[in-house]
Amino acid sequence: MHELSMADAIVKTAVDVAEKNDAQQIIEVTIEIGGLALLNPEQLKFMVGVLSEDTLLEGAEIKVEEIPIEIKCESCNYEGPAGSDELDHYMPIVKCPECEEVSIKIIKGRECNVKNIKIEKEDEDA
Amino acid sequence: MHKIAEVEIQHDIMLANKKLAKRNQKIFDKADVFTVDVLGAIGSGKTSLIENLIEKIDYKIGVIAGDVISRFDAGRFEKYNVPVVGLNTGKECHLDAHLVEHALGDLPLGDIELLFIENVGNLICPVDFDLGAHIRMVVISVSEGDDTVEKHPLIFKDADIVIINKVDIAEAVGADENKMFEDVKKLNPDAVVIKSSLKTGEGLDEIIENIKKFMNE
Repeated sequence: MHELSMADAIVKTAVDVAEKNDAQQIIEVTIEIGGLALLNPEQLKFMVGVLSEDTLLEGAEIKVEEIPIEIKCESCNYEGPAGSDELDHYMPIVKCPECEEVSIKIIKGRECNVKNIKIEKEDEDA
Repeated sequence: MHKIAEVEIQHDIMLANKKLAKRNQKIFDKADVFTVDVLGAIGSGKTSLIENLIEKIDYKIGVIAGDVISRFDAGRFEKYNVPVVGLNTGKECHLDAHLVEHALGDLPLGDIELLFIENVGNLICPVDFDLGAHIRMVVISVSEGDDTVEKHPLIFKDADIVIINKVDIAEAVGADENKMFEDVKKLNPDAVVIKSSLKTGEGLDEIIENIKKFMNE
């Protein structure tokens, strides 16, 4: 699905920052995905891999970390991690884990963040 | 000699879209155009609903018709003599704020009071992409099955208006429209949920009334 457009933006971001830092090669890129972002990490990794061919990112290790879902309850003002239920994937966005009321807002968990890159560069001090 | 360095980036791709969406909304506000992002599955009745609204609402309407190939829907709207821009997404499954920004250049915003942006038929991908519209209206139909809300929760969590369409054939397709209604309310107690049939006209007045209510808020 839209992993392709996300992957494209990720590759461009990583390569752009690498170039600005005079990198010869990117060794590793770390991407953070919110638990509610509608992105499949494996598909995203695959797409980033394909799109990084012939760029500084080619061959780099692609790490994907998950950002946990956090909610704010409008009934009891609870703010923090959402509830979880392996059998009910949408429970975290339905009920407050504290008071079980349904008026909750999602405050974290929808990101697709290029966190950092590890690059190889000429050692000017050597 | 080579050395290894770690470079902090912290660039949220979603946030980049959000910034563009905010810019779009500023353009809408400046031109006094109220904008509705119309989302829903393929065949749920998004295009038909907009056609009905063009005929029945007494505002100057414009449409951005987004689709993989947009000329089919854009052609339908052109018959009503309203400003229409077709947005081809090609291989993409959703509209994003950047695409909408491009379309705005081709619309006479000064002649539009109410703008509908018809998103690509899809209950998943468009969710992540704010377009800068003032409200989100999701159109689903009973023929998608009455578990469609449970299977695609996030799109309903973000919706302002949810329309459960084709209720006239609910029995024929074995779907319980009341269950769909309750499922939306459970996910999003603040959403306005309306059962409709564009074939019989049921619910249409209520939809218009609620769009106007949001416009005047």
